[in-house]
Amino acid sequence: MHGMTSYFIRRLMLVPVTFIIITFMIYAVFRMAPGGPIEQARVQMLKAAAGEAGGGGGESGGTGMTEEERKSLEEYYQLDKPIPIGYLVWLGFWPNSHKGGKLSGVFWGDFGYSNEHSAPVLDTIISKFPVSIYFGLIGYIASWLVCIPLGIFKALKHRTHFDTLTSIVVFLGYSVPGFVAALVLMLTFGTNNFGMDWFPLGGFRSENWNVMWDQGEFWWCIKDQVHHTFIPLIAYMMASFATMTILMKNSLLDNLGADYVRTAFAKGLPERRVIFIHALRNSLIPICVGIGGAIGLLFAGSFLIEKTCTIDGMGLLGYTSLLKRDYPVLLGILTFGIVLRLLGNILSDIVLALVDPRVRFQ
Amino acid sequence: MIWKIIYLVLVFVLGWLLTKFILPWMIVRIGRLLGFRMRPTPITARRLARFRSIKRGYWSFVGISTLFVISMFLELIVNEKPLIISYDGRVAVPALNDWASKIPFLGISSFEKKEDFGQPGGSEVDYHLFQEIVENPGLISTELQAAKKKMDRAERSFKKLKEPAPDATERKKKRFATRKAMYERSKAQYAGLQDAEAVFGAGRAWILPTLYPWSAKSHREDLKANPPNSPTLEEKCFLGTTTGGRDVLVQLVYGFRISIAFALLVAAVGYFIGVLVGGMQGYYGGWIDIASQRIVEIWGSIPFLFTIMILAAMIQPGFWMLVILLVVLRSWLGITFYVRGEFYREKSKDYVQAAIASGVSDWKIITKHILPNSIVPVVTFAPFGIVAYISSLVSLDYLGFGLPPGTPSWGDLLKQGLENVQHHPYLIITPVVALAATLFAVVMIGEAVREAFDPKVFSRLR
Repeated sequence: MHGMTSYFIRRLMLVPVTFIIITFMIYAVFRMAPGGPIEQARVQMLKAAAGEAGGGGGESGGTGMTEEERKSLEEYYQLDKPIPIGYLVWLGFWPNSHKGGKLSGVFWGDFGYSNEHSAPVLDTIISKFPVSIYFGLIGYIASWLVCIPLGIFKALKHRTHFDTLTSIVVFLGYSVPGFVAALVLMLTFGTNNFGMDWFPLGGFRSENWNVMWDQGEFWWCIKDQVHHTFIPLIAYMMASFATMTILMKNSLLDNLGADYVRTAFAKGLPERRVIFIHALRNSLIPICVGIGGAIGLLFAGSFLIEKTCTIDGMGLLGYTSLLKRDYPVLLGILTFGIVLRLLGNILSDIVLALVDPRVRFQ
Repeated sequence: MIWKIIYLVLVFVLGWLLTKFILPWMIVRIGRLLGFRMRPTPITARRLARFRSIKRGYWSFVGISTLFVISMFLELIVNEKPLIISYDGRVAVPALNDWASKIPFLGISSFEKKEDFGQPGGSEVDYHLFQEIVENPGLISTELQAAKKKMDRAERSFKKLKEPAPDATERKKKRFATRKAMYERSKAQYAGLQDAEAVFGAGRAWILPTLYPWSAKSHREDLKANPPNSPTLEEKCFLGTTTGGRDVLVQLVYGFRISIAFALLVAAVGYFIGVLVGGMQGYYGGWIDIASQRIVEIWGSIPFLFTIMILAAMIQPGFWMLVILLVVLRSWLGITFYVRGEFYREKSKDYVQAAIASGVSDWKIITKHILPNSIVPVVTFAPFGIVAYISSLVSLDYLGFGLPPGTPSWGDLLKQGLENVQHHPYLIITPVVALAATLFAVVMIGEAVREAFDPKVFSRLR
């Protein structure tokens, strides 16, 4: 066990290194890219000025921003400092002149301020967590509930008509991306094109959901929530449906061919017991290991599905921030994404070590 | 009508022949010229035979590759520019030139001036108008009347002015000059149209359009309703138009070519790099292995779709830039682990040790000895990689961070479909069917390849 602990410690130590390398690269890209925050702010001011001028009539709009405003913006985004220093300020290991020379950055939980949302970045991101977690969790659980039994059945009925038929479905599921499935479902069951207008076209809940909840219409609220959940849920399931089913099937088939199963059969154990107690337990290991990868999806959601179904989660936040060039939020989301992915990898290893006592990491 | 059917059959037969016989033969020849043996080893031959015996995979492969090879000549099949256009003894092949102009470094232009084909003006010939006039030469007389009216008007306003004296003001001189130019232009136009009427009337002009005479960038201006148009048979708009008025069928077929070419390029370049890196890791081991594995791991932790979107928002990439982005951020990573493992295993085998002992250079051992024996993961991975890269391109286009606007793409069609989901279902149905069918066929290929190259034998007692 000692070797394992040191393995995990080494893995954990690698997290900050990875994190710093990636975020530094992305920070540098942001800084060097045209149309950066200053440019955005200038355009916004120009627009505002033009709007006022149009309202006031005749008077020509301002020339953008004053030197003073530019200075303060530059200072805010640390553009007056070289990239490495600016990065250290963002990270929180260099005095932030904007915050009175104190250390203030990601490390201290300060992700900056989003002008677009008029709120701190961290608050903006965290406010999207519930929606993304809701869909991520339900989608993941649902795909477990479907894929594991289906995989078991396919393994037991290997090379039968049932296997072939479900294989076609699985491969179709593999070839169609989740958001495309969402589009098809929206078209079929969300509009009146085929006379089956059963589900809403998007959104997390109806607009008056909170009002109804306060009025105590719980039944209506639950129905509304389920209604809105159906299409995105299937789209989320599509993401892991094919791989998980095939993984389950192959891993069970592997185990059914293993010597210990042969021995179990040979000593006269009933088939059910051999399959569902001996073989199945071992073949669930690869599925469990996938949990780590799912963490990312759980929090980060999916741009494509959230955009398609207009669910106001992390993915849509990333997408709109990108459209509006809201750099602090973009950096924040990326940071969260990277950390979650790195932690997810480690979690996978830990889970594997926990469920499979044979595994030894070096 | 009948010749169109013949043409369509011809296209498919030629495409099939090209894919099945001519291209493989050429590849073998070129390979031999370059010094490769180009004869499969017994193991590879057995694998190929096994692949051929898996019918669904094999026929998907034949189908997709035939379609892709045909799509290489799409300019000759689906194009606004005609195959042959002839006017008064002057013959041009704009479609062929258009096709050749896509080949880099040839510098061929498909531009044909209006004036040379009986249409006044110096811009590109309006081929649809040309065809209409060929079919109905009477059309030109109305245009002739309009030109005559215009000429008369220009003449009258010109004749009103007197030739200005040499000491007249600059303004007067200028006005005289412009009116004179206008008059002469309209006179030339009228004369040109008169010539055209004679040529068209005598039947000395003809045109051979392509199978579906619309280009990816052309708008369906012949349709009566405003775009997006639903599919109509009588107006020969079989799959409708986009919100911009472009023909969906054309977008679909050109999108197929772009998607497959994109995915193939990303896979080829990415796997080339991935095999090199993985081979280095597995062959040299030691600190090179550890260091580069960490780099791969770090690189793989980048949320790639989001990063590409951010970069695309900043630099507005073209086709090649997008290929590079996807290669750098994604496609070379996954394969390294498998190739590394293969190299690790192969290196400890006797034949490699013997090669090392007899002083063969590292590069030669890697490329000539180990690589042919450890190519299996690359081959089995490629189809699934292609599925992933087609999906990536579609996703990026769908989000609006992919190829430049105006490029035919399935993702863009899907985006428009989402915007018009209530009233224009065909904008979703057609790209989805195309995407699902293509990807399904590629997955079938992948399944068959995996089955043939890396068969799993499941033995069950009961």
